[in-house]
Amino acid sequence: MNCAHITPSNAMVQANLLLVDDETAFCTDLQNQLQAMGLCLRAATCCREALQLLAVQDVDVVIMDMQMPEIDGIQCLRQIKQHWPEVEVILLTGHASVQSGIEGMESGAFDYCLKPIDVRELLDKVEWAAQKALINKESKTTDQDRGVAGQGE
Amino acid sequence: MLKTLGNRLQKLFTKDRDTEGPSLDTAAVEELQLTFKTRYYSFRQLLTANTKTLESMAEIEKALQGFEPFSFSFVQKACGTVSINVFSMIQHMENIAPGKYSALRESFASIQSRIDTLLRQKKELSDRRLVIPLEAITSDMTDVVGGKMANLGDVKNRLQMRVPGGFVITAAAHELFMNTDGLQKEVDRLFQVAGSDLDRNLDLVSSQIRQLILSADVPEPIYNAVIAAYEKLKQQHGGQEVRLAVRSSAHGEDSENSSFAGQYRSELNVNFAQFFHFFKQILASKYSPQAIAYKINKGFRDEDIAMCVGCLAMVDAVAGGVVYTRNPLDRRDDNIYINSTWGLPKAVVDGDTLCDLFVVARDEALTIVREEIYDKAFQVICYEEDGCIRTETDADTAKLPSLTEGQIRELADAALQIEDYYESPQDIEWAICSDGTIYFLQSRPLQQMEASLPTDELNLDRFAASLLTDIGINASPGTASGRIFKVSKKVDILQFPEGAVLVVEQALPTWAPLVARAAAVISERGGFAGHLANVAREFGVPAIFGVTSAMDMAENGELVTVSADLKRVYLGSIAPLLEWKRPELTPMKGSPIYELLQQASRHIIPLNLIDPESRDFQPQNCTTFHDITRFIHEKSVVEMFNFGKDHHFSERSSKQLHYKVPMNWWILNLDDGFVHEVQGKYVRLEDIASIPMLAFWEGFVAIPWDGPPAMDGGGMTTILFRSTMNTALVTGSQSKYADRNYFMISKNFCTLSSRLGYHFSTMEAMVSERAVENYLGFKFKGGAADYERCLGRLHFIQEILERYGFRASINGDNLDARLEGRRMEYMLERLKILGYLTLHTRQLDMIMGNNAHVKYYMKKLTDDIDQILVGQHTCAV
Repeated sequence: MNCAHITPSNAMVQANLLLVDDETAFCTDLQNQLQAMGLCLRAATCCREALQLLAVQDVDVVIMDMQMPEIDGIQCLRQIKQHWPEVEVILLTGHASVQSGIEGMESGAFDYCLKPIDVRELLDKVEWAAQKALINKESKTTDQDRGVAGQGE
Repeated sequence: MLKTLGNRLQKLFTKDRDTEGPSLDTAAVEELQLTFKTRYYSFRQLLTANTKTLESMAEIEKALQGFEPFSFSFVQKACGTVSINVFSMIQHMENIAPGKYSALRESFASIQSRIDTLLRQKKELSDRRLVIPLEAITSDMTDVVGGKMANLGDVKNRLQMRVPGGFVITAAAHELFMNTDGLQKEVDRLFQVAGSDLDRNLDLVSSQIRQLILSADVPEPIYNAVIAAYEKLKQQHGGQEVRLAVRSSAHGEDSENSSFAGQYRSELNVNFAQFFHFFKQILASKYSPQAIAYKINKGFRDEDIAMCVGCLAMVDAVAGGVVYTRNPLDRRDDNIYINSTWGLPKAVVDGDTLCDLFVVARDEALTIVREEIYDKAFQVICYEEDGCIRTETDADTAKLPSLTEGQIRELADAALQIEDYYESPQDIEWAICSDGTIYFLQSRPLQQMEASLPTDELNLDRFAASLLTDIGINASPGTASGRIFKVSKKVDILQFPEGAVLVVEQALPTWAPLVARAAAVISERGGFAGHLANVAREFGVPAIFGVTSAMDMAENGELVTVSADLKRVYLGSIAPLLEWKRPELTPMKGSPIYELLQQASRHIIPLNLIDPESRDFQPQNCTTFHDITRFIHEKSVVEMFNFGKDHHFSERSSKQLHYKVPMNWWILNLDDGFVHEVQGKYVRLEDIASIPMLAFWEGFVAIPWDGPPAMDGGGMTTILFRSTMNTALVTGSQSKYADRNYFMISKNFCTLSSRLGYHFSTMEAMVSERAVENYLGFKFKGGAADYERCLGRLHFIQEILERYGFRASINGDNLDARLEGRRMEYMLERLKILGYLTLHTRQLDMIMGNNAHVKYYMKKLTDDIDQILVGQHTCAV
């Protein structure tokens, strides 16, 4: 599906996106589509690589497959939310059971996309997540101004 | 996040209560702004999730009409989308009103687990044997040996008719095969990766899966069981090697509403040395492109179909064919139809040759009422080594009837017995070997169509000029029009446009995937007993076969009308033919996928919580996802509406509206409500960016207020009396609330707490281009007059609001009006109405005792509003 004609919002253009998926074909495809829309998307193929990237790069929204080798999506999600609570995570999965998606959302995932991925739907969620990440940032700044930084969300 | 938000809210509320007057310091205002943004955001998200839930529910309802095919992955995705979005609504509701509706989670969990159980259901096999001899098979073993072999078992064992010996490799064996070395998991993965692009990648996915199966090893237990069964068969044939007919007998194949006709592979005359190769071929044929497409269109899950394999001793037939115990094209015709040709019945079934037709009446003598004998130039026979071969029939034999009268009657008689036994019309495959013995190879339920077109009424001569052809046979009745699309190569399949008329040279099963997408099918060759005809009938797609000039009669893209009932094709669209519609088929109804969706939908679709005013409107009473959705939607609007109500802020933290003169209206900017940063204590109208506030204001100032209505004596007495009781009602008293109005705004959002005169009203609006998020709430309370008159005014306002599309209700002395999900322009007009009413209903309670006055004001107010709506008002304060 080509979504190049969709005009992304300001929040989306400003947001730094990170895609974590071991299926490189899907990564490349999505990366091409988002870049064609003028969005900034980095990619990692496993959780470890994602955490390394997060440590050095400014990331607002993570799009992540739940099934990955070594560390699975839920564990990775928990680690991300522990260290970078203001980052929003959208999970992708082909699990037949919705339960895993709900578990993900309980663990702090922003939203959950069922495979097969409808790119439009995903973009819609990224849009929302980007807006949310902006509010998170703002809230973090307000707290820091008041010297309450470090208490976390 | 949630906790912080809760804390913030709590802090804010505590502060409000502790301080005497309404005041917030700058930090508190910042917090309020952030709280607003977070709540506002959650609310918008909640509404989006609400819309998605309702959309998915609508999709489910549409699917349940049964007209359109859908797959198991549709069921999974639709139910999953509803679940995820309902869950998301619950989470956002918790952000808006922390801890208040926690019972929703329990309701959700219990509904979700019921749906999960349904979707995960897997049938347990009742018999774990890997191979079962045909002698031991009856029709109640469908789940073990597949419908085709279970039926044949009955014909052999219960009806005692002649059926070749053999055995069936069972569903348990198929399960073992697919579960060895993770084969099934890999198949599932390939389907999942293909996802919604499956249609486009059908050939690729199919070939990947078939390769997997063909290269897998046959597990040893299956191997050993087959060898043992074959040895027994050999003994029955005097110890000689036996050639086998190896046939698919899949679940769902040959059931009443779906025949899977010709979708799977069968191999004839197989030498046992090559048996396992062909066995795997048949297992793999479950994933042929046409079988996958058919499966999706008919609503089967991959796991619903176990591929059982029937192995019968090959009958070296001199003639063969098919008996229909009734006319498949016309329910009223109860004659027996026998299609027959020289050689193996395969030629009839594959639809690649003309065959003889014998029609037998259902009378005692089994009278042959019609005979059509054709030149059967080709026949299919067993090859010496193995396999079959298509060969020319010698010219003299070709023109002879392929059955004797005796054989015709014998077949008809047996067919009636089988029909009697199954108590439904049957489609029976048979073969006659050289000594004249008739063997039955298959019996399955016959698909029958409704009556055909009333030709006399249609006066067809008037369309004679447009007639393209009137030869051929009605392979599937009906009339349809569409543009010609000729298909001769497999690659043409990819280009086939939805709703086109499929034109082919030969009615091959290969074209089956196109049938569901075609308006009609025309083929140069093929008969109505063939696979493609079967498929066309199942999908209710009209088809004419035997149209010898089909490929040349019209160009690609030309519009034609195909009337299979008349066996005619016309150029253009022939309305009277098309208007004669037969009842639509619902191919999905009754399929396993359909049943599954129907069961799951019972936990999703019904709405039990209807009345928000009812005592039962509680989270713990939500028994479907629709209930939860309805509950949350209702409560979220109420919660959002309360947002503005509890906040008061000092004049320092807000700006005073300067509209010609400084006014008693204060404005707090929550986010992007001002066009730019505003310095000083005043804000002017041109500084305001809030779309809903501007609309409200436009209505507020549209028509000047005439001042208080002349009141009757009773009204005056009341107001004087009540003023002495309640100092807050007296203008100029100590109360800061008298005649003071507070807006909280952002670009698309606005709340208003307003006290004008003696009544109190609140308004909250969200208006943007996203109609689904738009809402408008208005509450009106109080008045200086006695209860009756105040109530009178509430009813007066209610009537006006309802007239302009609001939903309004009165509880005690509260009026509550609401409007949701309408387009921006509509919302803005309603905001103008509220602005107008806020000013012009001042002190109207005073005249509520006087009918003439009430009438006068009703007319004046609605006239004014109509004027405002058409934009003819004069602007004034």
